[in-house]
Amino acid sequence: MSVSAGDNIKLDWDRQEDEARLEEFDARIDRGELIEADDWMPENYRVGMLRMAEHHANSEIVGALPEGEWITRAPSLKRKLALIAKVQDEVGHGQMLYRVSQDLGKPRDAMLRDLITAKTKYHNVFNYPAPTWADVAAIQWLVDGAAIMNQKSLADGSYGPYVRTMKRINMEEAFHFKSGEDMVLTLMSGTPRQKKMMQEAFDRWWNPCLMFFGPPDKESVKTGPFMRWRIKTATNDTLRQKFVDRFAPAALDLGLKVKTYQRDAQGVVQRNPDGSAIWTIDEALHPIESEKRWGFSQPDWDEFYTVIRGGGPLNRERVGLRRFSYEQGAWVRRAVLGRPTGAPPNRN
Amino acid sequence: MTDLADAHKKPLVQLLFSIADDKLVLGHRNADWTGLGPILEEDIAFSALAQDDIAHAGAIYGLIADITGGDADHLAYGRTANTYRCCDLVELNDEFDWAVAVVRQFFCDHFEHLRLRRLSRSNWTKLRQLASRMLAEENLAIGHADQWIVRLAKSTSEARGRIQHAVTKLAPLTPSLFEPTEGMADLEAAGVYPPLEAPMFDAWESMIANVIDETGLRAEFRAPAKDYVGGRHGKHSADFAAMLSEMTEVYREEPAAQW
Repeated sequence: MSVSAGDNIKLDWDRQEDEARLEEFDARIDRGELIEADDWMPENYRVGMLRMAEHHANSEIVGALPEGEWITRAPSLKRKLALIAKVQDEVGHGQMLYRVSQDLGKPRDAMLRDLITAKTKYHNVFNYPAPTWADVAAIQWLVDGAAIMNQKSLADGSYGPYVRTMKRINMEEAFHFKSGEDMVLTLMSGTPRQKKMMQEAFDRWWNPCLMFFGPPDKESVKTGPFMRWRIKTATNDTLRQKFVDRFAPAALDLGLKVKTYQRDAQGVVQRNPDGSAIWTIDEALHPIESEKRWGFSQPDWDEFYTVIRGGGPLNRERVGLRRFSYEQGAWVRRAVLGRPTGAPPNRN
Repeated sequence: MTDLADAHKKPLVQLLFSIADDKLVLGHRNADWTGLGPILEEDIAFSALAQDDIAHAGAIYGLIADITGGDADHLAYGRTANTYRCCDLVELNDEFDWAVAVVRQFFCDHFEHLRLRRLSRSNWTKLRQLASRMLAEENLAIGHADQWIVRLAKSTSEARGRIQHAVTKLAPLTPSLFEPTEGMADLEAAGVYPPLEAPMFDAWESMIANVIDETGLRAEFRAPAKDYVGGRHGKHSADFAAMLSEMTEVYREEPAAQW
């Protein structure tokens, strides 16, 4: 039986904290100071920060999978090398973020076990399939582009170890983004078949990227207190708008068409019999000069909640592959870490 | 020597293909572990090994292209199966058995080290310089492989059993490393591929024994039979056909296109 060390790690807004210490902590946050691992912190701050870092770590190592499956098929030596290096970076980010999380009180093995038993989550966007080489380009350009936007805001946060990790990760993500941009450009300058492949991949990833930043602010329960403590520093809608402002014109410049879900007159999303979306040009996508922003159609938020609850196209496969890797490697960890994988954790 | 004699070009291309193809295929196999390694830190290390191997392969394909024309990608991806010169051992699919992956790496790295040591004394300047640079990286790879063999063999009985099983399974494939490519004797005689003090197999076996003896693992190796015909002459395993087809899947869609 695997016992999760995470079972008692919960947010509890009724928890009583020492008022004087809480006041001092809030004052430190207001002064823009960084909180370090050994500093006093309110339990909800620690739990909130741990959950965020753990979710981020999980996302890095699950995020390695959709692209990782294309390493064997990368079409040139240069792309093959770059893709291995890229996925290697993601695993490295996972390693750094698990270390940040460990210091907040949850051992790595407990986090990996919670991930493979679906007790904890990872980023929704990685539950979508990457059926062609062009999907690799789309992921590196759009998903990494979205990640950079999100992480740049997180690098302004209040927890020192996480902030420093974000800064380092962002430098590496900038390379991934450049590589993705180069791949998209290469395919869009290529043969008709390559262009078609790229457009289809872009269609598959544009809306998941809009969802990447989380639900609309009015539905996002976490935002309030986490913004106060600067665990989060920008709202979901703000980041989403920034993403569209940056990527919509870039996509159009490259000759890509930006699409949304086909909806009926009542606004209900229409789907193919197999449940896949029917894409149609997003007529709402245009600059709104008076507001200095781009207008765009919202993604299908019902789909977002379905995927979050485990009903996405590949939730089962992604978690299954992580479980396979965890189980295949258990004997190696038993051999070199010198303790059984199910044993009670130590902090490091 | 800056210019290569015409008579040596054909056998040298065969030898260079055997090195580049070994490295490409081994790098490809190691990269299967990228994202799926048993420990995050080791996942990262194996990805680094894969990158070294593939980067080395690319540099050697580049050298071949200097001799024959063409470009490195076409040489890596655009050939028919029977023109590849990699050996059975690198072709082996490890089926996500980490013990097999580590033992394969251990056997291959020591062989590669010897091959590069020879090339780093070549009288063809270009080759000598390239091989010397690669040798430094190969030495890191050897240290990594040796350490894992010893560490696993000396830990739990479970790990030891798995490593022993992998050694026993892979040892019969090791003669495939030593099969000479066509015309190799001429290159040796001419100093393009200078021999070691001892025969290649003996030198390799003693390096392997240095590590294995420390662990108490059991292993028996034999030199390839004189009439052995395998990967170095284009006769490949079934694993290779499947691997090549996967590796070139996207490339073959539009071989003339930029990707």
